[in-house]
Amino acid sequence: MERLARMLDDRRTLVFVLLAPVLAFFIVFNTIPTLWLLGLSFYDYSLTSGMPPEYVGFRNFVQIFFNRNGIWGDLSRTFIFVACAVSIQTLLGLALGFLFWGSKNMPGRRLALTLLFTPMVLTPVATGTFWRFIYDPTFGALNAIMGVFGVTEPINFLGDPAFAYWAVLAVDCWMWTPFMTLMALAALGSVPKAELEAAEIDRLTWFQQLRLIVWHHGKFILMLGMLLRTIDSFKTLDLIIPMTNGGPGQQTRLVAVELNKQAFQSFNMGWSSAYAVLLLLISIAMTSVFIHVLNLRRRRERS
Amino acid sequence: MSETGIVIDGVTKRFGTFTAVDDLHITFADGETACLLGPSGCGKTTLMRMIAGLETPSEGRIIIDGTDVTRMRPRRRNIGMVFQYPVMYPTLTVRENIALPLKRDASLSAAERAKRVDEVLEVIDMAGRAGAFIDELDSGSRQKVAVGRSVARQTKVVLFDEPTTNVEVNAKLTLIRTFKEISRRLRQTAVYVTHDQTEAMTLADKIALMKDGRIIQYDSPATLYRQPSTEFGGWFLGNPGMNFIPVTHTTRGLESPLLAAPVPAPDRLGSGALRVGIRPEQLQAGIEPFEGSVKAEVEDCIVGIAGQLLVRLKVADETVKLKTGKLPGLRNHDTIHVAFPNEHLQLFEDGNRVEERG
Repeated sequence: MERLARMLDDRRTLVFVLLAPVLAFFIVFNTIPTLWLLGLSFYDYSLTSGMPPEYVGFRNFVQIFFNRNGIWGDLSRTFIFVACAVSIQTLLGLALGFLFWGSKNMPGRRLALTLLFTPMVLTPVATGTFWRFIYDPTFGALNAIMGVFGVTEPINFLGDPAFAYWAVLAVDCWMWTPFMTLMALAALGSVPKAELEAAEIDRLTWFQQLRLIVWHHGKFILMLGMLLRTIDSFKTLDLIIPMTNGGPGQQTRLVAVELNKQAFQSFNMGWSSAYAVLLLLISIAMTSVFIHVLNLRRRRERS
Repeated sequence: MSETGIVIDGVTKRFGTFTAVDDLHITFADGETACLLGPSGCGKTTLMRMIAGLETPSEGRIIIDGTDVTRMRPRRRNIGMVFQYPVMYPTLTVRENIALPLKRDASLSAAERAKRVDEVLEVIDMAGRAGAFIDELDSGSRQKVAVGRSVARQTKVVLFDEPTTNVEVNAKLTLIRTFKEISRRLRQTAVYVTHDQTEAMTLADKIALMKDGRIIQYDSPATLYRQPSTEFGGWFLGNPGMNFIPVTHTTRGLESPLLAAPVPAPDRLGSGALRVGIRPEQLQAGIEPFEGSVKAEVEDCIVGIAGQLLVRLKVADETVKLKTGKLPGLRNHDTIHVAFPNEHLQLFEDGNRVEERG
């Protein structure tokens, strides 16, 4: 016991002892699987065929790159989805954030905020399922409501290639705008009240206040929210599976949907691993942007 | 209304059930520096925020130079304000910060504007750092910039809301010097909120002593110090505050075991509780008994600034504070002799000053 205590007195031993559990966890559950994935991507390996894995070099990657209905379509759909989702959610979130920020004394504000945040706390699969019902052409609520306004021909939102993509995007916005509202409120909450009061007394215009004070103090939290949403919506899967499962055709097939199908429905492990490696590289690029922005703040504070 | 300065006319401010400012009437004269002084929670900051327009009075009117501004937005009131928290717009340099409020003033040409900014930079002693950003300045300098920005427009009124609170001691002194310099040069009507009596004494033409949302006394610093209208004033001002000794009114005058001889009483006296007040520095003290002295036991003594001793004495069961530079080497439980000179005694009845003494 005493020897152990003396050992822990040494700083370097202590650091190692304290780091060991998290390092072990990280290596076992993160590093080894990632290396495994990287290795598998060079093999042809199907769980259903019963054949042993066969080394094929870059064949999986070549297949992914040159398949006409492959990754390029999925990626462009995904990037458009991410760009639209993040910008719409940020704009709506900001609008709602400003409304709630400016109405601190409004009665019922807390209740309204709670109601507003409910979509965010739902399970995406549940959200997808009940939106499928809402969108349903025969008994869906949305078509019933539109019928009241004179639309006689019911629209098959999730079945019609012209609508499906945007219908799914709308649900994503419905679900995640509250998150951006929350981030906008946090960002606005970090603006010092005294600076706004001083600006009012100094007769600064509305736009000057926004540019010199609100943006300066709020931008980091807002950007953090946008980056979290970007990375999260890049992985959108659970919302789409109950609604369209990638269809109609490939209209709503985002990268995560395709990967899920190949890996866990067709069990093409080699091909899926190669696909996953490519997505991992894109995710790493996005995460680097995220870390860069966070570091920007620390660099500023140090200077 | 043609009256100049700031007129507070029956202003009350309630927050829920709490009354922060209670039916105030006061006039801050044109070109004077008035300090609102009082313990925290006395309503001084609320009063100032109402003058600025950041709070709206529950009742009453606020008139600045004859214009009723009670419901006017801050931006239309022609005021400047310095906050407790040093406000300096980030992303702008010191010079740009000071120039910013001037930009909306169409009556000034660009050259006049630049000249005005240069003047201000010189007054706040920041001319050498005109290009600095907020990150490069300590809180004292930031507050100087905030002061510069609020006076640059040369508004009729400048308000200071405890501007030295978030500034460290050394910067505080230079900041106060800056305030003096500015008020001397610009002759704006200034209202300065503080809980620091030294600051109020240094800066103010007149001090409004506040307590519980009311103004206790509004006088020049000297009058406030020498002739407090209430026991609260005597206790709050001075470091430490006044001593109060209960006295009884007899045919011979005012008597107390602490007084060697009775003190003449004024002609008209009510039946309220009588106490005489005396400042700790006005007590006479000596090791040996002297004319008019009484015996006192030293309970505790602290060495203050410049060899001043702050002594707590027990005199005939009363605790009395004494401030003296004459008795070095005093120890606890020593016996000394003190006297309460007649000319320094002030009589209070039920906490209020009795004006004429007979």
